[in-house]
Amino acid sequence: MSEIRKAAVIGAGVMGAGIAAHIANAGVEVLLLDIVPEGASNRSAIAEKAVERLLKAEPAAFMSKRAAKLVKTGNVEDDLDALADCDWIVEAVVERLDVKQALYKKIDTVRKPGTAVSSNTSTIPLAALIDGLSEGFGRDFLITHFFNPPRYMRLLEIVSGPATDPATVKRVSTFADVKLGKTVVNCKDTPGFIANRLGTQWMQLAVGEAFALGLTVEEADSVMGRPFGIPKTGVFGLMDLVGIDLMPHVLNSLQRALPKDDPFHKGTRDLPLIGEMIESGLTGRKGKGGFYRLNRDGGGKVKEAIDLTNGTYRREEKARLPEVEAAAKKVSALLTAPTPAGRYALSVMARTLSYAAWLVPEAADDVVAIDEAMRLGYNWKWGPFELIDRIGAATLIKALEGMGEPVPEFLALAHDKTFYRVENGKRQYLGRDGVYRDIVRPEGVLLLSDIKLVSEPVLKNGSASVWDLGDGVLCFEFTSKSNSLDEGIISLLGKASRLVKDKHKALVIYNEGSNFSVGANLGLALFACNIAAFGEVEKLVAAGQQAYQALKYAPFPVVSAPAGMALGGGCEILLHSDAVQAYAESYIGLVECGVGVLPGWGGCKEMLTRWQTDPALPKGPMPAPSKVFEMVSTATVSKSAAEAKEYKFLRDSDGITMNRDRLLADAKAKALALAENYVPPQPKELTLPGPSGRVALEMAAEGFHKRGIATKHDLVVASALAEVLTGGPADHIQPVTEAQVLELERAGFMKLIRTNATLARIESVLETGRSLRN
Amino acid sequence: MSNVSNVVIAGYARSPFAPAKKGDLARVRPDDIAAQVVRELIARTKVNPDDIEDLIVGCAFPEAEQGFNIARLIGMIADLPQSVAGVTVNRFCGSSMQAIHMAAGQILLGAGDVFICAGIESMSRVPMTGFNPMPNPALHAKNAAAYMGMGDTAENVASKWQITRADQEAFAVASQQKAAKAQADGRLKDEIVPIRVNGKTIELDGCIRGETTTADLAALKPAFDQNGTVTAGTSSPLTDGASAVLVCSEDYASKHGLDVLARLRSVAVAGCAPEIMGIGPVDATRKALSRAGIAMDDVSVVELNEAFASQAIACARDLGVKPETLNIDGGAIALGHPLGATGARIVGKAASLLKREGGRYAVATQCIGGGQGIATVLERV
Repeated sequence: MSEIRKAAVIGAGVMGAGIAAHIANAGVEVLLLDIVPEGASNRSAIAEKAVERLLKAEPAAFMSKRAAKLVKTGNVEDDLDALADCDWIVEAVVERLDVKQALYKKIDTVRKPGTAVSSNTSTIPLAALIDGLSEGFGRDFLITHFFNPPRYMRLLEIVSGPATDPATVKRVSTFADVKLGKTVVNCKDTPGFIANRLGTQWMQLAVGEAFALGLTVEEADSVMGRPFGIPKTGVFGLMDLVGIDLMPHVLNSLQRALPKDDPFHKGTRDLPLIGEMIESGLTGRKGKGGFYRLNRDGGGKVKEAIDLTNGTYRREEKARLPEVEAAAKKVSALLTAPTPAGRYALSVMARTLSYAAWLVPEAADDVVAIDEAMRLGYNWKWGPFELIDRIGAATLIKALEGMGEPVPEFLALAHDKTFYRVENGKRQYLGRDGVYRDIVRPEGVLLLSDIKLVSEPVLKNGSASVWDLGDGVLCFEFTSKSNSLDEGIISLLGKASRLVKDKHKALVIYNEGSNFSVGANLGLALFACNIAAFGEVEKLVAAGQQAYQALKYAPFPVVSAPAGMALGGGCEILLHSDAVQAYAESYIGLVECGVGVLPGWGGCKEMLTRWQTDPALPKGPMPAPSKVFEMVSTATVSKSAAEAKEYKFLRDSDGITMNRDRLLADAKAKALALAENYVPPQPKELTLPGPSGRVALEMAAEGFHKRGIATKHDLVVASALAEVLTGGPADHIQPVTEAQVLELERAGFMKLIRTNATLARIESVLETGRSLRN
Repeated sequence: MSNVSNVVIAGYARSPFAPAKKGDLARVRPDDIAAQVVRELIARTKVNPDDIEDLIVGCAFPEAEQGFNIARLIGMIADLPQSVAGVTVNRFCGSSMQAIHMAAGQILLGAGDVFICAGIESMSRVPMTGFNPMPNPALHAKNAAAYMGMGDTAENVASKWQITRADQEAFAVASQQKAAKAQADGRLKDEIVPIRVNGKTIELDGCIRGETTTADLAALKPAFDQNGTVTAGTSSPLTDGASAVLVCSEDYASKHGLDVLARLRSVAVAGCAPEIMGIGPVDATRKALSRAGIAMDDVSVVELNEAFASQAIACARDLGVKPETLNIDGGAIALGHPLGATGARIVGKAASLLKREGGRYAVATQCIGGGQGIATVLERV
């Protein structure tokens, strides 16, 4: 009973299917059931169609083809008995108490005693759900509230009742944390739990006040976005994303469920325009338009926004309000600005943050749970209490008093304090009793941000830092903009290597940015080329090659631990590591050809070696270069760490960590395991086809050009890449050394960087963020 | 040396043709498909296997599972007597027609009486161009067309012979309809050898799309050149399949009471410019007709391989093929084109049609990558 080896999800709607897919992503077989459609010949049609939808979902619901095969489909009439083999049953059917209860009764007759049953309800209290059911069922029952899409949203709200067996909660929570990668936030059995209750309050206030104070949608979103660490979609952009028609349903259900004296009700306003929009199909991105739309009339693409005063569309005008720009430095300045934007910010955020304080202990035991829920459920950079700390509790209290709003008791308690503090190197939070307590990380969670609170970097320059993780392991952290790779990183890698060699056991390359690294710093490369300092560029290419080779052949193990994007040079550093421990959401690829160059820091060499040693590939000199050419010339990026293994950006032996917060600990453990009796790898020789192979690859590229898929400059880039991948002048009866391939990489890179078309591509990426298809 | 006057086709069989990668034969080794066809041809014709001189197998990419000497291995899998030899022939798409020509030559030389001429290609399991395409850089520099992709040559023929996209699509739809009708009327059944795959039996061709309309085809994107006219719908699909014919001397056939389909009258091959390889059948057919001393007007059955609609139309026009004689049960656009197997299929098919439809002469001809054509003239017995 200790492990979850097989699960079932009942209800194959968007959430149920998405949950099933994600359980499969964890490598666990999952049975997806739904009802038998009336008069259907295929009785499992609903679940089967759901899987078809999952396979086409964008962004992808499955992390790999293998995961997709772990979802088995069926229906609740013929396949209910199969629940007896399941260790966890998730119910995600329609939000109707009678339907859910009828299903629970059926489940209870077939499930093994002790099998956890959980509901994905977002509105029905747990107490009501188990009312009238067997005692045993109540003991094994809890609410597991996922967010959409289940693969990508890291928050999982868990509600247990007084009857729920703590062992069951622990078993499901541990599985959700370690296998599904979710951050579990324990909530009270109250309506909307935490994130939706507070999030909906924020949304209704932010929309209503924009109408009341006469802000445009662009102005409102500029205030409700970046200054508060909220995604730049702000509120109206977010409404477009989730569906404007969804809002009245969520509002109604919360209004009905919450007690009359709940401050939530004061935020509600009647907004006729929203009803009109929904009626005319303007439901957001899924509909004919929303608060924003892309007008394609007349063949063009014009970004438009709705005029909140009359419901007509007009050209979108990005808001550039000085008080909003100033808020980047000091957010409280925005709240006190005597302008519509300032009044808007104050009216919405003061009441939202006050409501957050009111929710302790109403919906959660502590501020940590509420902050975590808003960060992970709504992608806020700072939770509400972290925001209050940034603004100042006293300032907020004063503002609320000025607005004639009540000040929650807990907020008043904090008037001269902060909700968080660092004491003796530990992060602490303020309890309702006025006492600070340590934030305790679950076992197996190690955060660099925590380490930084208690120590200084052992090495540091403008682009990177090195931290001591203890037990003889150092951590190399990129600190440059977007973690782009530059001379500073290259030189510090050398210093870090010497330090590890002298005094430590292993090196972990890791950071807590949203992306591991987006590749080399193109701005610097472009600058050097514009002043024709090609020698400098070549030096940097050579230095990168040397640094990466040094990592590979160092007398200690190097483990890289990427999360998010690891592109170009960021990917090449993974390729040169002894092992990789990757966060499941890692997007890895050699994308150099997109900007008109080629992998020059050993990426070609490493990928050739990996593919050439794959026993599944046909023999001979061509299959490996062809495969690598196909991926690199098209700048292929994996959509998950699991997929990166299919491309061989990761090895089969590399590890995947589902929970972001567990990545560093896993990487460190891997490094220490490798450090036992570590022997550096031996250089490998390659068998490459030489000019014959180059011609074959060039012919393939030419075909893509004719079909309109490859551009003219793509052919130039492809040809240079083909030259490297086929070993230049190589003859396939004569092995090619790593050094020879590196030399070819350098020559190919330098040839391309000297072309105007490549420079134009780099310029375009730097200026517009888009690659130029020249 | 015996006194041999004529060479005849005394039997024809093939596997169902299935779309590569996604079809029913994708998971079967090519040698296993071909062996089942060869064994069944022997059973159906009742030829005494001990009399067979050689098993000649055409294959366009004889490597990997089609490698070694696949002909010899097919003979072993099919449990042919040890005395039957085996040779693999490669003339790309013309490979198994070449196998028939070689057998005919051997018979006329007095070097054997009975031959099985087969063809095989699993385009699922051995890709076109093979696993290690390594063109000669110097030749490529001198004459890139030597290695030109087949789709590009089809575009070249389309533009040089001014074959419009609409004409190609009408041709493709007609081919699909003819094949679908032949299948529905059971006219393909007799030539097909059901292939057993892991306890399942595959007996129907898998590529045919009889419901295809010109409107469907008009919606497709060009497959090889964004400004071109050739689409996937007007090209033969990548296909898995095998075929075999029994070739023997007329004397042997009559002495052993074999059911003769047709007599071989003449054969020919001819080179042409590689960038318009699709036009190869024109010169080859003209040569073969002239060797037979007849004209196209005398021919009542024509099997002209449809590698692409553009080249098939251009060849039919240049040769003056009467539409009612052309690919009566549909062509490769509908049935599929397992490269090495097509030659034996269209010779066997032409011979069977001659018998079924009446008429005196039949022509089977096809284009060949690299710039060639091959043709066979048959006569009713």
